[in-house]
Amino acid sequence: MTALLALEHVTKSYSGVRAVDDVSLAVARHGITGLIGPNGSGKSTTIDCLSGFQALDRGRVVLDGVEITGWAPHRIARAGLIRTFQTVRVYDALSVLDNLKLAAQQAAPGGWLDALLRTRRHGAADRAAAARARELLALIGLARHEAVPAAILSYGQKKLLALAAALMPRPKLVVLDEPVAGVNPTRIREVETVIRQLHAAGETFLIVEHNVDFIMNLCDRVIVFDQGRTLMDGTPAEVRKDPRVLEAYLGAGA
Amino acid sequence: MTIDPLYLVQLTLNGLVLGLLYALIAVGLSLIFGVLEIINFAHGEFLMLGAYAMTFMLPVVGLLYAPALLAAVLITALGGFLLFELFLSRLGQHDFERSILITIGLSIMLLHGTQYLVSATPRLVDTELGFDGVAIGDIRITWTRLIGGGLALAAFASLYGLLTRTPFGRAMRAIAQNREAALMVGIKPRTVARNAVVLSTALCGLAGAALAPIQLVQPIMGQFLIFKAFALVIIGGLGNLPGAIAAAVALGLFESWIGGFFEIIWQEAAVFLLMILVLLVRPNGLFGRAIVRAG
Amino acid sequence: MRRFAGVGAAACAVGAAALLPTVTQSNYLIGIAVSACLFTVAAASLNLVYGYTGLLSFAQLAFWGIGGYCAALTVATFGGNFWQGLLLAAGLNGALALAVGYPALRLNRHAFVIVSLSFALLANLIARDWTELTRGPLGIPGLPAPTLFGFAFRGTATFYYLALTYAMLALGLLYAIASSQIGVTLRAIKQNEILAQSQGISGLGYKLLAFTVGAVLTAVAGGIFVFHLTIVDPLILDFYYMQTFLIMVIIGGAGSFWGVVVAGVLMSALPELLRFSADLRMVLYGAILVAAVLVMPDGVAGWLRRRRVERLRAALQ
Ligand SMILES: Nc1ncnc2c1ncn2[C@@H]1O[C@H](COP(=O)(O)OP(=O)(O)OP(=O)(O)O)[C@@H](O)[C@H]1O
Ligand SMILES: [Mg+2]
Repeated sequence: MTALLALEHVTKSYSGVRAVDDVSLAVARHGITGLIGPNGSGKSTTIDCLSGFQALDRGRVVLDGVEITGWAPHRIARAGLIRTFQTVRVYDALSVLDNLKLAAQQAAPGGWLDALLRTRRHGAADRAAAARARELLALIGLARHEAVPAAILSYGQKKLLALAAALMPRPKLVVLDEPVAGVNPTRIREVETVIRQLHAAGETFLIVEHNVDFIMNLCDRVIVFDQGRTLMDGTPAEVRKDPRVLEAYLGAGA
Repeated sequence: MTIDPLYLVQLTLNGLVLGLLYALIAVGLSLIFGVLEIINFAHGEFLMLGAYAMTFMLPVVGLLYAPALLAAVLITALGGFLLFELFLSRLGQHDFERSILITIGLSIMLLHGTQYLVSATPRLVDTELGFDGVAIGDIRITWTRLIGGGLALAAFASLYGLLTRTPFGRAMRAIAQNREAALMVGIKPRTVARNAVVLSTALCGLAGAALAPIQLVQPIMGQFLIFKAFALVIIGGLGNLPGAIAAAVALGLFESWIGGFFEIIWQEAAVFLLMILVLLVRPNGLFGRAIVRAG
Repeated sequence: MRRFAGVGAAACAVGAAALLPTVTQSNYLIGIAVSACLFTVAAASLNLVYGYTGLLSFAQLAFWGIGGYCAALTVATFGGNFWQGLLLAAGLNGALALAVGYPALRLNRHAFVIVSLSFALLANLIARDWTELTRGPLGIPGLPAPTLFGFAFRGTATFYYLALTYAMLALGLLYAIASSQIGVTLRAIKQNEILAQSQGISGLGYKLLAFTVGAVLTAVAGGIFVFHLTIVDPLILDFYYMQTFLIMVIIGGAGSFWGVVVAGVLMSALPELLRFSADLRMVLYGAILVAAVLVMPDGVAGWLRRRRVERLRAALQ
């Protein structure tokens, strides 16, 4: 079976700085792939490139056999690739529940007219979204807060909300940029459990995270970046043992 | 249709002068945008202020051109200082919409306040130079136009020197190019922003004062011109100074030619259509979204 | 629960509004009420575009004025009737909104504001300078009362019912949009367009929708308004109107449907209370705008909302 997502020779510079330098990588279907690397090694830039938020200088991105290079971000999202952001993004003035419903909106049937006329189809989709939202809110421990504006959540709670939002539309591939940075350590365990559950149900993940334990526990494969290039690519055990990784990352970080 | 070549030269000269004065306005607008990320909707009223300051100073100084012009520039610079200290300095970096609403409110107050105080009647402004001019063959250009164009060129040369050679100007460009980095090397954004506003309004006052003996002076004159200046900074690329100047000179020429042969309505519509066209093809303007670039 | 209270209050307000001509015989007061209906529609449309979607659009002024000219020209020059005039106003302005909105909305918000303002100023210039069509500064006076199946909306009180009916229809549509999932999506795009894009929501499509709906409703309001004045001239494109709509939206609270409607109705009376020189009135309006933006950026409704959030946050600690 081919990879769900493939990057081929992706290159991206910011005014001279090579943030991503000729990176090729593949994300296996139904896997949990980790992506680690020191600060500034190009992880977030890679996510921006594969989700359409940055135009590539060179290279191709293929999602599920379809080339998506150069597509607009919303089109890539509709094709089933959903990403989160390192600096958390939520709709501050909307309620927690509305935040989640919005995330599922494009995947639901019905358009503007359905929403305006509040047709039966819209009602059914709305109820389904609310039900799934409540399920996810229970999993991340925010069920009590569904009616409050997202602005009043703590940073960690917002991160969890953003994670839940990414899971709402049941995408083909979920790309998470530092999902547990700033999250209460006792909650991190629960996030692991949520991701495992969804993985068991067939979901595919690509996760960027500085929390090495989190990555090593969860992932079946880990890619290591250094200075915009792939340093290595293997199982968590292999990565742990590799001296280059220790030098570039673990040695410096832990 | 036969076109008299002399008439064409005459139109070209007039257009050139007009374009240079437009450029003074557009450059100020672009500079404020580059440094503060604010669009000053009251910019046209500063032009009007400069023109009225000239109008009222001239009789005081015995119709002498230079002292009246200097006074007008100082008065508008002071106005710019007040604009910054009283209003703009209270805005945060992400208050773009608020900055517009505030400068719009001020623009309306200045426009209608002036209209109330001095009436809306257009005035013809006389200077020591009168309506004399130089004539080369059948081509004639008044001194006031010639001086206006020369002043604009001198202003651009000084602005260029200021932005590239002085610490004051370099700080301005640094902020426009990379705010975070500029802050890290210890540039004071507030001082730089104030300087940029004062400089821009002074340039605008200069344009107004130079226009006063060329055009009719009336409260609404700023509104007419600001509309063109907006189109120019968009076409030239927001925050791009050379782009704004190039677009302004081109517009002056273009208007003068069109105005010589077609109805006024086409002259007005042309700018707007050109702007929409440019935006469709190049959303960042013809010369790109460059920051305050001096060359 | 709150929803029903709102609908109940709205029904009472409509009832009271419908009874107005039985309470007062004063054409002057009823004339103000006509303006209140139409200004409120324009302010609520601007609220959809600016308050909900975050697009500070001065093109609303152009749509208001072009709508007025469309309706007047249809009757006075093109040989049509009032209703065809409104249809032309709606159709032409809808098309203009798409034609100007599509290139302008792809830009950053800075450039969008400038383009929308230039569009309004251009409309003003055309109204004054294209004399063959618009008859220039003198305008087109003596617009006749609209008729429907032989019934003429003559007299201020009768005309008031026409304006009120339109206001109800337009505000109803705006409320339906604002309270639906579309309204939520517009607010989401305003707050965080990048997040919306990452969720598959196309910002451009929704912005065009809001911009176009706002244009059509404002244009028809402008069309009715010039028949209330019985004249159209370039003053219909005066910045005075834009400023009035803006103040209503800002004082009422950008993004609050009822806040803006209430502010629209109350503040329509303001120019009538301030009956000194037109220039001084404008100066005062400018001062109100500046003060409101400096002191109360989210309006009365925003201030109330912030207090609620503060309470929730306190309760959560
Ligand atoms: N918008 C931008 N403009 C200019 N340079 C950028 C931009 N975004 C990132 N960079 C640079 O690109 C390089 C890679 O940054 P990136 O954010 O992808 O790293 P990262 O691996 O995600 O780091 P971190 O672990 O700190 O999040 C860095 O040198 C950074 O300074
Ligand atoms: Mg990162």
